[in-house]
Amino acid sequence: MELPSAKEVGAAARATLPRMGVRGVTVEYPGVRALDNVTVDFMAGEIHAIVGENGAGKSTLMKVLSGALTPNAGELLRNGEPTTLRGPRAAIRAGISMVHQELNLVATLSVAENVLLGREPTFLAGIAVDRSQQRERARALLAMLGAEMDLDRAVSELSIADCQYVEIAKCLASEAQVLILDEPTAVLGEHEASKLLKLLRRLRDEGRAVLFISHHLDEVVEVADRVSVLRDGRLVARFQRNAMGVLQAEDGTVATEDTLAQAMVGRELGSIYPPKGSAKSGAIAAIELIEFGAADRSRDVSVTVFPGEIVGIAGLVGSGRTETAEAIVGLRRPVGKIRVAGAERTFKHPRAAMRHGVTYVSEDRKGRGLHVSLSSVANMTLPSLDAFSQFGGARIDSVAERSVVTRWINELAIRCARPGLPISSLSGGNQQKFALARWLETRPNVLIIDEPTRGVDIGAKAEIYRIIAALAHEGLACIVISSELPELIGLAHRVLVMRQGSVAGEVTREQLAEPGCEERIVRIASGLRAERQENHE
Amino acid sequence: MSRSHTGTAVRMQRFLEHWGVLVAFVLLFTVSAFKQGGDFLSIENFRNLLNQNAAVGILAVGMTLVIVSAGIDLSVGSMVVLAAAVGTTAMNALIEAGWSEPSAVVSGALITILAGTAAGALNGALIVFGRIAPFIATLGGLAAFRSIALAIAEAGEIRSQSPTMFSALGRGGIPIPFAENSAGKALTLSWSTVIFFVVAIVAQWFLSRARFGRQLVAVGANETAARYAGVPVAWIRFRVYALMGALAGVAGLVQSSRMNSVSTAQLGLGSELDAIAAVVIGGTSLRGGFGRIWGTVAGVLILGMITNILTISGVSPYWQGAVKGAVIVLAVLVQRGSRA
Repeated sequence: MELPSAKEVGAAARATLPRMGVRGVTVEYPGVRALDNVTVDFMAGEIHAIVGENGAGKSTLMKVLSGALTPNAGELLRNGEPTTLRGPRAAIRAGISMVHQELNLVATLSVAENVLLGREPTFLAGIAVDRSQQRERARALLAMLGAEMDLDRAVSELSIADCQYVEIAKCLASEAQVLILDEPTAVLGEHEASKLLKLLRRLRDEGRAVLFISHHLDEVVEVADRVSVLRDGRLVARFQRNAMGVLQAEDGTVATEDTLAQAMVGRELGSIYPPKGSAKSGAIAAIELIEFGAADRSRDVSVTVFPGEIVGIAGLVGSGRTETAEAIVGLRRPVGKIRVAGAERTFKHPRAAMRHGVTYVSEDRKGRGLHVSLSSVANMTLPSLDAFSQFGGARIDSVAERSVVTRWINELAIRCARPGLPISSLSGGNQQKFALARWLETRPNVLIIDEPTRGVDIGAKAEIYRIIAALAHEGLACIVISSELPELIGLAHRVLVMRQGSVAGEVTREQLAEPGCEERIVRIASGLRAERQENHE
Repeated sequence: MSRSHTGTAVRMQRFLEHWGVLVAFVLLFTVSAFKQGGDFLSIENFRNLLNQNAAVGILAVGMTLVIVSAGIDLSVGSMVVLAAAVGTTAMNALIEAGWSEPSAVVSGALITILAGTAAGALNGALIVFGRIAPFIATLGGLAAFRSIALAIAEAGEIRSQSPTMFSALGRGGIPIPFAENSAGKALTLSWSTVIFFVVAIVAQWFLSRARFGRQLVAVGANETAARYAGVPVAWIRFRVYALMGALAGVAGLVQSSRMNSVSTAQLGLGSELDAIAAVVIGGTSLRGGFGRIWGTVAGVLILGMITNILTISGVSPYWQGAVKGAVIVLAVLVQRGSRA
């Protein structure tokens, strides 16, 4: 089953050969169906864009295609025939290469060494690397991409754009016929991005199947031959470029940034959101950020949050939301000013922030938010451990500790039969409730909660929304960072939209109630101006 | 992995993971008893086992705490000799300066422990504030601390100038009721054993019941998550290395008073390996975030008994290292299922 080479696939045969595809693929995680019966073909000589909100299943699909994940149901097709890929190495051997968002280069090796990593030209029966040939081949591959760089430089010294070229050259070195790129332009400037898109077109014209994920809908409309829209794990819309060069759905809808955003979002707000209360009028601001940011990651974030108010922060992954929050509580170096209850503060450590009532619940529950190997009790009381310490810390009052844990289990309806067992034995929703409760036990005035419902099933989601709304009602100032727009719209009093490290716009309470509000946020987050649609040719 | 096993095998595996160290301890104890006839079960023999291993035991207890924090301390043997050299030299100087023996011995003992603490604090500072990996920082300490001790004594021996009290500390102890040796003399539990037990009990308490232990486990299990939870990570890590140094000072005091002198080329040589081995045998995870002092104590005694059995059986000392090595690897294999 040899793959026909790029040259054999002539221009005439272009776009007719399904190089790669999936049939009825379903992937289930505990409590979440990440992909639901997805069928899609990727043709040789086509650029196929996959779009969708965060959590829609794009990354899961990429993992299935690159052999990193075996689906629970459905099959993988290669050149029209069912196949299985046992791991990423098998995928590479089958001519499928993936360029990850976090690039997989060896920082200490040179450009040439990275390009030919694992396929070094050798002599002396394979024991010695032929350095001159290694450089020659790397130079040829990079030249094919139109990239020129010092082959001997360590990759750690390259710009991100150059790293991406090295990564793509690496794919070419493995004779990839299917190239999968995960948000390749997310970290690039405008000029570099347009160069990269040009390159993708070249790779397509040579007969390769190019898949890419992007949040930048304008570039999708510009370069894609086909677009698949994922929402909640299902393929909800397809667009294809017709003979006239217009990207169109089967029902005739022309793909624009707006129709794509609509297809991505396309869902009604359910009743899982509690009614919104109002901020305490006349109260002193719980927290004020003044031209605040995380050093090198975000800047000029100015916002005032009053007791009882829920302020949402939207934005794409990488827009600096999390970094800004981490800088507030001292996990990153801050720039600008913070005022807490009217007094200016700088926190060097989350402990210091906690003493002044400012707490942050991390988005990364498994890696940062909780200690998965420790018991629910130990996790629950870790931030507030001083309150349970006696004799200068020589003894923890375990009776008081248990009773506090039991209280929170009852209060937040946490399903946890044995709090002494590792917290990893609980479901995502119950873990998240503990991640929240451990900070509530420190009696905060300001709660910053990052992706409050990531990896949480729908039932627990509704409960977490109810808890946040109730806390705000009692006078807590909440900042909710989320990539799930319905969540922000349903929960927040107003939403700041961040883009490339600063606030790109604000959506007011009135605007949140209007239809089309999600598209408004998506548009601000991806940098499309409102007039763009009128000017579109 | 365990899915293919039968239920009993899985249960057996779990049991060994948790209690394997005690099983090994009882097994070895029985083998020893048979090997030595009636002698091994004598109180005297057990007392000797404890006395011989008290110093390494004290180090191993400290090492358990360091390893729980996901660190390592390779410099413990060198800290022992440095602390003992500094303390004994100071004691001798005080005696020569005309201090009374009790005050000179007590001051010398305190200086020994302080010198160890200072060396440990230096390790901690390099690791926490200098951001040097514990393995590297303490590898430096391993070389440097012994070198300082050698320089102090010009590679020779420092003999204690205390006429009686210092060696009484090393050789005396609490009389064990109703126990006498074969010669009919009353047996004593040495001070070094008493100190070992006190250190182990206090450490077990701190690890499982005190704030420091809870935070130490949190830092070892996931340092980033601990920082996010407001744990003073740097301070905790610094303190555990300083504490390790203090315990190395205590071990140095135990050893130097037992010998009534400090041999700067020999004292504590290689004891970092014995301490780490005892911790590993005891079931503490080298990845950090989990540990148990009682396991380490059992590990120390297991290593001690193996040495005794091999010596009594007439196995050449050259081969004893190979047997010990095999035991260490075996211990990790049995326990690795869920942790190590």
